[in-house]
This record gives sequence, C-alpha cells and structure tokens, in this order.
Amino acid sequence: MTPDAWLPLAGGADGLSGLLGPFLDRQAWARSSLGTSPSRVALRPVDVAVLRQGRPGLASVVVEAGEDPPTRLHVLLGWRETPQATAALARPGAVLGTGSDGSGEVLVYDALADPELCLELLEAASGGAEHAERARLVESLVSHASLVYDERLFMKCYRVIEPRPRPEIEMLAGLDRVGFNHILAPVARWSRDGGDLALVREFVPSAVEGRALALTSLRDLLARATPGQPTTSFEEVGRAGGDLGDEMRRLGHATAELHLALADAFGVREGGARVPGPRIRTHGDYHLRRVMRVDAGWLVAGFGDDPLIGAQAGAASQGEPRMGVPLEDVADLFISLEQVADEAALVQPPGTMAHARVLADGWVRHNRRSFLRGYLEIPGIGRLVPAGREEVDSIVASKVLDRRAAAG
Amino acid sequence: MSAPAAPQPRWYQRAVFYELPPRSFFDSSGDGIGDLEGIRAKLDYLEWLGVDCLWLLPYYPSPLRDGGYDVSDFLTVAPEYGRLDDLVTLLDDAHHRGIRIMSDLVMNHTSEEHPWFVESRSSRDNPKADWYLWAEDDQGLPDVRVVFVDAEPSNWTFDPARKQYYFHRFFHHQPDLNYANPAVVETMLEVVRFWLDLGLDGFRLDAVAYLYKRQGTSSENLPETHAFLRRLRQEVDKSYPDRVLLAEVNQWPMDVVDYFGDGDECHMAFHFPLMPRMFMAVRREQRFPVTEILTQTPPIPEGCQWGIFLRNHDELTLEMVTEDERDYMYAEYAKDPQMRRNLGIRRRFATLVDNDRRVAELLHSMLLSLPGAPILYYGDEILMGDNVYLGDRDAVRTPMQWTPDRNGGFSTADFARLFLPPIMDPVHGFQAVNVEAQERDASSFLHWVRKMLHTRRQYPVFATGAIEMLPADNPSVVAYLRSEDGGPTVFCVNNLSRFAQPVRVSLLGHEGARPIELLGRIPFPDVGADPYPISLQPYGFYWFELREAES
Repeated sequence: MTPDAWLPLAGGADGLSGLLGPFLDRQAWARSSLGTSPSRVALRPVDVAVLRQGRPGLASVVVEAGEDPPTRLHVLLGWRETPQATAALARPGAVLGTGSDGSGEVLVYDALADPELCLELLEAASGGAEHAERARLVESLVSHASLVYDERLFMKCYRVIEPRPRPEIEMLAGLDRVGFNHILAPVARWSRDGGDLALVREFVPSAVEGRALALTSLRDLLARATPGQPTTSFEEVGRAGGDLGDEMRRLGHATAELHLALADAFGVREGGARVPGPRIRTHGDYHLRRVMRVDAGWLVAGFGDDPLIGAQAGAASQGEPRMGVPLEDVADLFISLEQVADEAALVQPPGTMAHARVLADGWVRHNRRSFLRGYLEIPGIGRLVPAGREEVDSIVASKVLDRRAAAG
Repeated sequence: MSAPAAPQPRWYQRAVFYELPPRSFFDSSGDGIGDLEGIRAKLDYLEWLGVDCLWLLPYYPSPLRDGGYDVSDFLTVAPEYGRLDDLVTLLDDAHHRGIRIMSDLVMNHTSEEHPWFVESRSSRDNPKADWYLWAEDDQGLPDVRVVFVDAEPSNWTFDPARKQYYFHRFFHHQPDLNYANPAVVETMLEVVRFWLDLGLDGFRLDAVAYLYKRQGTSSENLPETHAFLRRLRQEVDKSYPDRVLLAEVNQWPMDVVDYFGDGDECHMAFHFPLMPRMFMAVRREQRFPVTEILTQTPPIPEGCQWGIFLRNHDELTLEMVTEDERDYMYAEYAKDPQMRRNLGIRRRFATLVDNDRRVAELLHSMLLSLPGAPILYYGDEILMGDNVYLGDRDAVRTPMQWTPDRNGGFSTADFARLFLPPIMDPVHGFQAVNVEAQERDASSFLHWVRKMLHTRRQYPVFATGAIEMLPADNPSVVAYLRSEDGGPTVFCVNNLSRFAQPVRVSLLGHEGARPIELLGRIPFPDVGADPYPISLQPYGFYWFELREAES
C-alpha cells in the first residue's frame, strides 16, 4: 500500500515527511540512530501497513533516512479525533500533527504513547495469536521500546530495521529449539521483508537482576565487618550471612548449560593456532545485569547485545556471527563481579574504603570459585573447556586481563 | 470419656496449634515432672493466648530413651503424667473452652521394652515372633538410609536371645513393627480407636512414611503405606467425624502431598522445607529461599492443610536442604558444634534469631500469613532460650518459665528433683523471661503474639486463601497476596533485611484499591497504575486488607 492511500494527512506522503522531521528531532533514539538531526536528512516513508482502520487508527511505517545506504527506521503511528486523542496520550511530545481522515480532523501521534493501540500492536505482532488486557510501556531506549502485557508478555519494538535477522532473535530461537529453558522463551516474531520489527517473549515479573542480588550479599558482608579491625579478611568475617556462593554455583550450572545449548544450536568450531580450544557462539555480553534470578532459578537475557556484533561493530563483523571461547563469557561475568565490588566499596564511609576493598576482593574470589565449581559440575562441559580446574582458572584469568586491556 | 468439642467442619484448616511436651509444661503434683493436670491448670493461659488446638508430645509409658517416642505401652498414660481419667478431665475442660487436643502416635516402632518386643525376641516361634522384622544377617533392606547418623552405624542390631538381627529405622532400642503382619495392623487400628473413643481430637502420625518395608526400595512412601493410611482414614471418618490426622513426613512437598491422597489419607502434613528456608532468607536478606520452595509446593486437595512452624521439639531439621545449604546453616546458626545434632541444629527460636525482637516479629508475621496452619512451640511465645549442653533434644525441652519464682514457677519440687534444670542464664533465664512478667508488660512479645493471633483470626483468608507471590523490585522484600472467593484480600509485605528498604510491588488488577493496615486499621494511599511504593523499616512488615474500589 502506498502512503497516500491511507494517510489521514493533508498532502499525503509529503505531508507525513514534513511532520516526521520535527517529530523525530524530538526523539533521542532517532538522533542517536542517525548520528545527526533527523530533519537534516531526507526522510522517505517507503512502506506502510495499516494495522487498524478507523478511529483510533494504527499503522506501521518504515521510513528511510539518508543515503548510501539509507537507515530504515520503524515508526508506529496512531490517530484519533483530537479531543479524545488528548485524553488517550500518556506522553507529551508524542504528537506529529493534525490531519483529516475524510470524516473530520484527527490528531496523528506516536502509537506507543496510547495504551489502547499498544494492545492492537500485540495482536498484529503475534499474527492474532496473543491478546492482552493491559499494556505498559516500560522503557524507551535508543535500540528499542519495551512493552509489558498483562505482566505476562514482553515486547521489544526495534527502532532500526536491520537488513538481516537480528542475532538476539536467532539466538533465542536456536536455544529454544534445543530445549534450553533458562531463557525467557520467544513467543512471536514480527518481521516484514526480512527485517525484524518486534520480538514478543515471556515476561517474569518477579525477576531480579543478578547485580541486585550481588549487591545485597556485599551489603551484608561490608556491614558485618568490624570497624577498626582492618586486618579482618573475608574468610574471617565469614562466608555466611548474605553469602552468594550457593547462588553463584547455580549460575555456574546455568551458564555451562547455556554454552552446551549454544554449541548444540549453532555448532562447534575447532580452535586454530591463534585461539586454541573449541569455539562456539558465545553470549558475548555476559554480566550480572544480563542474568536474572526468578523463583525457579536463574535466567539468561540480553542475547545479541554483544557490543562486538551488529551496527556498532563496524564492517569487520558484518554478516557472520562471532564465534568465541566459552570462557570469555565467564571472564566477562567475573569482571562484573569486580565492578559490583567496586561499586559497593565506593559508598562506604570515608577512611574505610581500603578495608572494604580487602573484604570485597575476598568476596569476589569466593564467588568466582563457587561459580567455576558449578560451571565444571555440568556433565559434558569438558568438550568445550579444558578438564582441569587450574587450567580453566588460568585461561579465565588471562581473558579477564584481555578484556580489561580492550576496555582501556 | 470426654464429650467431643462442638462440631466445626475442617476446624484444623483455621486452627492455630500449640505444641507442648507434658513433661515440660507445668508440674501440678510437685514431683519435678510436668503432668496432664498441669496442662489443665494452664488452660486459662492458653485460651487467653488464643490457640485452638494443643498437640501433646507422647505421654505413654516409656523408658524415655527417645523423649517418649519409644513407647512401651500404647494404651495408657505414663504414671508420672497422671492417669487416664486425668486425660479425660483435661479433654473435657479444654473442649468446654473450644480448645482441641491431639497427641503423638508412634506407629512405626515400639520401645524394646514393649511387651510385644519382649515376647517377640524371646524365641523364633512365639505368637508375636513376626510382629517385628527379624533376619539372619544385617544385609537386608540395604537401600534404607540411617537416620540418626550420630548414634547408629546400621539399621540392624543383633539380639543375643533370639540370635537374629532386628530392623530399626531409628535407634536400636526402637524396633520397627512389621506391618506385613495383619495382626499388627489390626492392633494399631485398635489403639487409634481407643484414644478417639476417649475424646482425643486427632493424632500427629510420627514417622508415618516408613511403616511398610520392601526389599530393593528405600522403604519410604511405599504404596502399601498409603493403602494403610486410606484404611485408617476410613476408620476415623466412619466413627469419629471432625478428628484430624497430621502426617509427619520429612520430605519434599511434591512427595509429601501424596500423604493427602485424594483427600482420603491425612488431613494435614507438615511442610518441613519451608522452615529452614525462612531462617536462611533472613540471614541472606533475600527472598528466593522462601519463594522458591513455595513455587515448588503443589496444590493440595480440598479439605487438606499444611502444618507450618518455625521451631518444634526436634532439632531444626536440615534433611530437606541441599548440602551447601546445610553447611551454610551450620555456619550461620550453629557455630558451636554442641548446637548440632544429626542433620540439624538443636536451638530454640529465640536463640536462633539472637534474641532479636524485630526478627522474631518478622518471622512470626510470615508464619501467620503464609499458607498453612501455624504450629507454635511452647515457650517461643515468650522467647524462651535453650541449653545446648543438655543431652539429646533436651536442649529445647526445658521447663516452661511461668514466673520469676523458684524453678520458674514450673514446679514446687526441690530443684535437684526437676526432670531438667530450667534456663537460668541472665539473658534467657526464668527471672528475665517468664509468662507472668510478659503478661504485665503490654509491649512484651507475648502480648504481641496474642494480638497477631487475634488479628489473624479475623481474616480466615490467612488460613484457607490462595497465595499469589507479588513481583517486587527489591530482592530483600517478599510480598504476597492471600485471597479467596467471597472474602477480603490480604496483601503482605516483609523486609528480610536488617536495613531499611524501599520497594515497589506490582499490584496489577487492584488499581484503585485502598490498602488498610491490619494492626492499626490505617488507610494507606490508593493503589495506582504503577507498582505500589512502600518503605519498610529494618525487618519491617505490613499486613493490609485491600479494599477494592467501588465499581
């Protein structure tokens, strides 16, 4: 369908282009995605799908921005009679402008700001398979907007349409296929002409980021430390209290199972001279914000957010997913344990930071040991990593150094 | 015989239970040992406190090598506790006040001094020769685990008289009965009828998972055992309506639910794994130990109920935790090896929580608001202490502390004659911790417990409602809803941390509802579209009634 056929806007496609510039200028995600002010580049609505006719109305619009090659943005438009629209909108700055749908004036706006239209969106994205009573926009990021439906489903609406399948979707689908269940299972995938528009997956409302649990544990440890006894080591203060060791061991189990599942789903490549050992498709951005504790255990999230994959990575990595040594993920997680320790030490009272640092280092060591213990306990992990605990330790330690060096 | 309590269908679902060893409660005769008449003398107190059912530890004649669980006569009361008619008088008086009484019934084994065993071991061909499990060697039933690992190397012991080995699941002086012998089954059913005829309101069925044995199995939870329980339930339902069977099965909830059958086995069963996890959650300051076990707890048949508790007469059982969790619990709660016993920690509630009143209140608020019938252990309502230097489980069975007077008001006997010394240390001793002092002090823990029991009683949804765990963005906070058709919905939120905590709780579907705090009847701000924000003081908790908006 061409834009002119549906648009309730005077001037058709040109009219829309005229409104898109100022609207996108106000959206931080659009400025970031294009690296410039959107109104400075040519904006062309190239594809429109009307998801709902009438009032309120809903359409999914693909906008090409710039040249060589153009960036394809995904914009969701809604419209209602003006007085009703004002009441329906949850967010200022969402309005594009006014138009006419043939029987009167309507207000055209960003559909994500209208909870009722967000419900329509779920049905469209799932091909009618899913239906919800409530929608809530939980975050609006540069890469995507997130919606939660009935505290049961989670939808990620991508802002930029990539020319190839998204690694996140591929990975989740692959893991789901081989029966890995420490993930929020994919429920529906919305794409057009090979480009992914949105992903719907399970939502677990009771989930808590691994980082929050780690901070809870450290908070307990640091509060137990007796002031004025700077020699007290982590071992003396005790592993009890808010001990995270048991949780880290279970996270180790889940992580080893993740790596085995990734190997099953995407294959194993034997290492070369430069990088010895089997390589698999790794998580790539594995840290304590990417793992979540739910009542039943640990879940892994944040697939495909690997900073070395996709648009930000430059031409070198385009096309082919990166393969890596599984222990790189482990090293990343260990680095994030250290970051949590730094963060907790920073808020200690003046004069005690060094002491807190000593305790926190012990805490990091203890939790690394517990994690590796769990990781190596999973049968079959020996086909991906060396069998000896010490060897694994030293590989992880060197990866940690590599990562730190890379981070500058 | 006692007149039965006024009929009240499924009373046990809503009841608050109070567990007490008759030996330790109150000595009416001045011989240094608590007795049945002593319990009767304290019914005023129990009624005032607001408990619904007493669970008496074994009062049967016994050589007392296992706290009375080694019974040498099932059909009478041990003389130190009184006579059978004392029990009838106690039942009468309690029923008159609306208080019910159940007792322990040990069906799995007897004392080696029981006349049945004396006869059975006397020869290989006497009439009771097959009432116990005898064998030529100690190799049978190899898959049965040893329970009291501190005391018993094997489940078989050689008897020099009969020159055979006999089987015992627990101590060697407690031979297991042979349920494959129909005479044993009929005799034990006769024992049940005997006590129910006297007016007893039910039984806690001790070690009930182990009744039947079969080669090649762990001899736990066998189908034969379940078949026996169905038969027992039929007998009870037929002639004794309104009585209750409470299964002691120290296993995972998914296995324990089998003891409810299809609502045709036991009325109640203990939820063992919950208790250590409540302590663990507080020590780790995070909710997952508790929420995880609750999500693993399957629904139970209509008319059934869990029995939940913080402490009981046994050690804090760590059989139902993983090895890592056990190491953790030892490290946290039993730093002194004296405090450990078998796979458990022998300490009372107050000492487990380091006498911290705030933790005591938090854990009791959870006990009273999580699904199940709460079972209080005598003395915990005044935060009594323990004496870990006493042998066996006596650490937590010292005399109840009634007054600051001689022997804590428990007995007028000479101190040296007491069955166990009362606690006398300056922190937990009877001069500091006793019922009389706490009755006078309106801000005491005793008054607090009473108030909480009273509040809980006003909301039957605590007893019979469904539970829904609520999403909370702070891992140190556990929040849940209790609700049932036609009744009010209660919203509970608990801070497991010793620091103040902010939290936002998702109350989806209750937009516009007004939370009313139950203890002070204070209306809180209405629930909005966003997660509900609450600030909790250290170890703080709230119970709210959710008044839905008028539609």
